[in-house]
Amino acid sequence: MDDVLKIAKNCRHYAMCKIDYLGSGVCASGLEKHYVSFYPEGRMDLYAAIAEKTIPITEKCVEIADSCNLCGKCDYQCYFVMELRPSKVMKALKDHVGAYLESGGKIVPAKDDRLLAEMKGIVGDYWATNDPAVRITYHHDLCPHVTFKMPEYVVMPNSIEEISAIVKLLNKNKIPYVVRGNGASSHGLVFSEGAVLDLNRMKTMDFDEKNWLVKVGPGIAAFDLQWEAKKRGARVHTAEPAALVCANIMTSGLLSTFSTAYGVSADNFIDAEFIARDGSFFRLNDITAPNLFAFHNSNAEHEAFAICVSVSMKLHPVTDDESGILVPFESLENALDFAKDCATRHIGLAIGILGEEFMSSFLAPTIKRTADVKDIFTQKLGMPYLVLLIGDKYALRSVREMGHPAIDQKLFKTLFHGLSALKSANWLDLLKELSSDEPFSYLRIGQFADLAETALAPSPAQLTQDVDPDLSPFFEELYSRPEMTDLVWLNTFRIMSSRYNREKPCVALVCYLPIDTSLIEEIQGRFQDIARKHHLKSALGFITPIDSGKRCVWEHDFYFDHNDPAEVLRIQQAAYEAGALIDDYSLKTGTIRQVRYVVNQGCCRKENLLYS
Amino acid sequence: MRIGSGTLVERRAARGQRILVTGGTGFLGSHIAVALLRAGHRVTVLVRSSKKLPAQDRVARLADWFGLDEGVRRSLDVAEGDVLDPGWAEAALEGTAGPGPVDEIVHCASNTAFAERKRAEVEAVNIGGLRNVLDFAARSGCVFFHHVSTAFVAGKRTGLCREEWVESGKFTNVYEETKAGGEILARDVCRREGIRLNVYRPSIVYGDSRTGRTLRFNALYFPVKAAVFLRDIYLADIRERDGRKASELGIRMKENGYLFMPIRIEAGREGGINLVPIDHCVDVFMAILEDGLEGGVYHIVNSRPTRIEDLVDHAKRLFRLDGVETCGLEAFVAQPRNALETLYDAYLDAYRPYMQDLRTFEIKNAAPALEKRGLVCPEFDYAIFARCMNYAVETGWGARLFP
Ligand SMILES: Cc1cc2nc3c(=O)[nH]c(=O)nc-3n(C[C@H](O)[C@H](O)[C@H](O)COP(=O)(O)OP(=O)(O)OC[C@H]3O[C@@H](n4cnc5c(N)ncnc54)[C@H](O)[C@@H]3O)c2cc1C
Ligand SMILES: NC(=O)c1ccc[n+]([C@@H]2O[C@H](COP(=O)([O-])OP(=O)(O)OC[C@H]3O[C@@H](n4cnc5c(N)ncnc54)[C@H](OP(=O)(O)O)[C@@H]3O)[C@@H](O)[C@H]2O)c1
Ligand code: SF4
Repeated sequence: MDDVLKIAKNCRHYAMCKIDYLGSGVCASGLEKHYVSFYPEGRMDLYAAIAEKTIPITEKCVEIADSCNLCGKCDYQCYFVMELRPSKVMKALKDHVGAYLESGGKIVPAKDDRLLAEMKGIVGDYWATNDPAVRITYHHDLCPHVTFKMPEYVVMPNSIEEISAIVKLLNKNKIPYVVRGNGASSHGLVFSEGAVLDLNRMKTMDFDEKNWLVKVGPGIAAFDLQWEAKKRGARVHTAEPAALVCANIMTSGLLSTFSTAYGVSADNFIDAEFIARDGSFFRLNDITAPNLFAFHNSNAEHEAFAICVSVSMKLHPVTDDESGILVPFESLENALDFAKDCATRHIGLAIGILGEEFMSSFLAPTIKRTADVKDIFTQKLGMPYLVLLIGDKYALRSVREMGHPAIDQKLFKTLFHGLSALKSANWLDLLKELSSDEPFSYLRIGQFADLAETALAPSPAQLTQDVDPDLSPFFEELYSRPEMTDLVWLNTFRIMSSRYNREKPCVALVCYLPIDTSLIEEIQGRFQDIARKHHLKSALGFITPIDSGKRCVWEHDFYFDHNDPAEVLRIQQAAYEAGALIDDYSLKTGTIRQVRYVVNQGCCRKENLLYS
Repeated sequence: MRIGSGTLVERRAARGQRILVTGGTGFLGSHIAVALLRAGHRVTVLVRSSKKLPAQDRVARLADWFGLDEGVRRSLDVAEGDVLDPGWAEAALEGTAGPGPVDEIVHCASNTAFAERKRAEVEAVNIGGLRNVLDFAARSGCVFFHHVSTAFVAGKRTGLCREEWVESGKFTNVYEETKAGGEILARDVCRREGIRLNVYRPSIVYGDSRTGRTLRFNALYFPVKAAVFLRDIYLADIRERDGRKASELGIRMKENGYLFMPIRIEAGREGGINLVPIDHCVDVFMAILEDGLEGGVYHIVNSRPTRIEDLVDHAKRLFRLDGVETCGLEAFVAQPRNALETLYDAYLDAYRPYMQDLRTFEIKNAAPALEKRGLVCPEFDYAIFARCMNYAVETGWGARLFP
């Protein structure tokens, strides 16, 4: 595989190029034309397809290639999260199509059919297509379990009425369909041999600050919503920044470290509107509406029987004294005890136990640096577990009173900007001795942060030492922005979160269960056995206490190389065994729920999900 | 007694017997094992595999460090085992693959942590592990148990500490407490079983006074290392940046090339630090092993403790530092600690009880053996300090000890 194709095939399909999370701008053609095909992500798939001659050069193919002006914005974005340089692929795509046309190659026209014409009649000519160049960009994600389907049609309705009409038309013609958000669920959920309804044009946000809510259309991404909420001095509960809010609610019930305070599933919203399978409209709060608050704890495919066309999300107040800390622990048991204690006492808004994998990949600006960061935190600093806690000054004071030494904002910035110097900092050895009687007690010494600052000479330039030289001025400026070292901002907008899939993507095993160290360690041990058996890397993701510490969300990840067929076979088997294992434990304990069962039931009441 | 002293001397002279050294990868254990080997004994070392290296390789690496020649290495066997495992001896020694029975045991395996939070681990090794080794001694043909303890079983007492059993007392930390308990345990088992017992009590052991070489960089080394690291941090701030951080703490470069780093170290007017170089420690151990056949308790200490002021002066001279001073507690009442002092003080905390030792240690039992051989513990002067600290710097305080 040549280098360009390798980049194309390494696109994770997380849609980060669809949001302006670095303030460096979003691909202009994508913003105008909305189909994923016109975003860097789509062009990556398209290039791979034409390079491997899966599809011919079509009208849309030419349009897509032409619409890229090689501005390079996607390089900043994609390098930030995945260390990829998509513009090389964009250029190769343009060159390929250009060379094809120059050599007299024919543009294969798309066939117009009756159904397509009817769809176009509903949504407008541009917004329904059966051109293979578009369809190919709606045909797969990195899910290792499913056989992907190439849709016949891709449709982009722009209103509730249009959705309803399209659904009725498809039903009448017995065409299966699926609705797609940004396709970042990575579970093979958004594929159909019939039609894909991409709702990305429906970007409406109506704030009702009096009632602390915002009504969000199905095309709005978490990042954009959060941005608008922040402008108004509030916060919405969101998770992955590129996930569309309606989609996220439907898929996982929307959970994050803020779930400690803001909850999950139906806790997130006040009302929602739907188009049912038959094309009819209903509101969740209608007395006659189907009971979407229920939860069935089963593996049965819960067909998406309705399309969410708006959700009225709760707005949460924000105080001006919010801050973040990282509380280090030597053992998972102690980290869990602390996290549970805080949740039970309602201390803090967001709490997350981060394992070494998450911590190192979030902080490291490049893959190469990830291993160093892991070594620094686990070996040199002896902090294999860090509990992130976001809270107001009273919450942080409580943590201090609880007696836990912590990395505060100032020290976090120092350590983050000083990561390269930390690698070779021999004085770190002294720290272990310094706190031989109480781990991390050096963090309490008032002057420690100052000493660390002197010793590390931290700076954005130091942090970005080994990023590609042509990108380094941009990244240096980026990392010097205050929000890039602000734990509150970083956790609210989560722009680094998908980095844990930078080296390899993963299958995430996510469960709700009691905060019971022995149970978690036992299951984790079994997960690790499964991963070892199949020669896969596996690691703790995060653990967040919810519902006053009665339960937690726990993510454990199995990593795999999606471009290695043998590894894909192994991850299939491993994920199957891990799924069966959790089923066993669920049955045995009666207290475990799997997030994969939440798909299409995300509107359920948290209490039904956790306790019924 | 399981063996008469005459027979013991004969057997030893014939070099027919085998000595087991536990803690063979440790500082004292390895040096003692090497001294025994060089004296012609057959030695089995009890060693654990580490995360990175199997037991055999750990020993081979140490043998290289000591420059052991092939002939000597042939008298050395490695038994892999963990003294916490009650079945350690069966696996390591008694099986057909093991190196065979042992006649004498030198017990150096120990957990030397001071921290209260490590109590369970320290107790496990220093009491539980010792009991496992004693159990083996009792059921095997072991005739002599050499128990390496510490002078600090004396605990919090002041004044003259005798070469006697410490039945009770107050201790500074769990290490001292378990080492004292360990001695009594060893005494009781050995008495019951008719095994001869020597208890060796070194004070603070540092590197070789003649070469500066060492395998451990804790105890004496730690406060010096902390000062050197702080010096390097502020030197870099001055040389590579604007020196702003340094000047905030009053740190500056002097014209004579010394770094002025104002740190006051709390030190009383009396007492000092009792330092024994490893070469002397091993020489004394060997002398007692040879002459102390009837069993007993032996201090291996320095009759001339080093004053903190002298240590500070040595460090200032070698590392071109100025401004580091010792002073009494009253000084800190008058002017509370600044940032640097608070930090440095925290570094010294665990070692403070040993830095102003008001105890003196009797050297009676070993005196004849020492006199016979002309063994005198060297005074810790600047030359020795420099030798030891230069070796420490050269090896990155242990980071580059092995190639
Ligand atoms: C790196 C990574 C980290 C993640 N971390 C989290 C996390 O911490 N918390 C969390 O909650 N999730 C997390 N997720 C999951 C992901 O964010 C959700 O699956 C989210 O739904 C993806 O949004 P999307 O717009 O890409 O949805 P898509 O992938 O497009 O769709 C997901 C599902 O929702 C359906 N759907 C889409 N739109 C609608 C609609 N309007 N009405 C009804 N159904 C619809 C689709 O048919 C599909 O079944 C993570 C995913 C990744 C890749
Ligand atoms: N150093 C001094 O200044 C000093 C002063 C006075 C007295 N002493 C005494 O001298 C003895 C040795 O001390 P040291 O300084 O040499 O300590 P050290 O360097 O830390 O060595 C300790 C040794 O014990 C071994 N050990 C620990 N736990 C064990 C277990 N469970 N099973 C098997 N082996 C185990 C260690 O093996 P690993 O390498 O596998 O960890 C190591 O070989 C101790 O009894 C100590 O009290 C030392
Ligand atoms: S280089 Fe092309 S694909 Fe990338 S952001 Fe610019 S226009 Fe979009």
